[in-house]
Amino acid sequence: MKRECSSISRLLEKYFDQEVTPEERSLVEGHLPDCSACRMALETMQNLKILIKNPVEEAVEKETFPWVWEKIERGIRQEEKPGLWESLWSWLDMISLRKKKILIPAVAAVVILILITAPLIYEKMSSYPVLSVVEYVESDTYNVMIYEREAPQVTVIWLFEGPEEEPLTS
Amino acid sequence: MRRKASFSVILILLLSPFLGGVAFAQVQVRVRVMEASNVGSGFDSSLRDLHDQLGSLFSFSSYRLLKDETVSLPLNHPVSLPIPPERSLELTFINQHRVTAEIRVKITRGGRDLLTTMVRLAPGRSVSIGGPNPKRGEGTIITALSRP
Repeated sequence: MKRECSSISRLLEKYFDQEVTPEERSLVEGHLPDCSACRMALETMQNLKILIKNPVEEAVEKETFPWVWEKIERGIRQEEKPGLWESLWSWLDMISLRKKKILIPAVAAVVILILITAPLIYEKMSSYPVLSVVEYVESDTYNVMIYEREAPQVTVIWLFEGPEEEPLTS
Repeated sequence: MRRKASFSVILILLLSPFLGGVAFAQVQVRVRVMEASNVGSGFDSSLRDLHDQLGSLFSFSSYRLLKDETVSLPLNHPVSLPIPPERSLELTFINQHRVTAEIRVKITRGGRDLLTTMVRLAPGRSVSIGGPNPKRGEGTIITALSRP
């Protein structure tokens, strides 16, 4: 009897965790009605489980674990391999103002900087690819001379009465 | 939804300097008409920015401002203004490439075309149209077009 109890008690934990085979189960269940020590041991295990389980469940209910959820979401996103557009959205989400309020001044500064510098850069790039200011000149009345120089920037269209007339230069 | 709205706002803000040139299809052109001659000497203070240009090309001793007017040119709408002596200047804003405006310039006298030209004016750039050369004792008219 003592030997049987000793071998059963080794199975009790597995029985409690429902990891026993059907044969082991019938063995334990046949033994328990006759052994108060094993019954008590099983009862202790159940009480211990309740003692641990309840506070943990309460804590889980109270706690939302946002970081755990973010980690899971990140994992899902990585698995899905999002496209460029989704990546952009997730980047925007990362710098979302409501989540990271500390970024508001930084974002505002960057936007202002871009607004100030963009027109300047734009203006720098804005010159015509061709140097000529005068695209064409037509005159039925006069002969025309076009004079253009880059430094200093000079563009003059000069009219002449006839072919014999010379330009009036210094 | 809020994310899309904030993204759209940021996008509009970033593109606004580039959209400006397209949205406001109107340019301003300053028209200055001067009489250049060898009678007397002096350079009108309103023509100071043209001094280097004109001085490097012509030997006139005097430049006298006759007219100074800034006109707004809507896209493809000719704007005419009288210029001395008894001429008419017609400016038409044809096209804009970034900040450079293509402007058609037509000078007429009594309904007769004297000159038609197309110029590309960027801000700060000017074009002077002058001649013919003056007869003895007379001045010649130079019309300077510039972007403020």
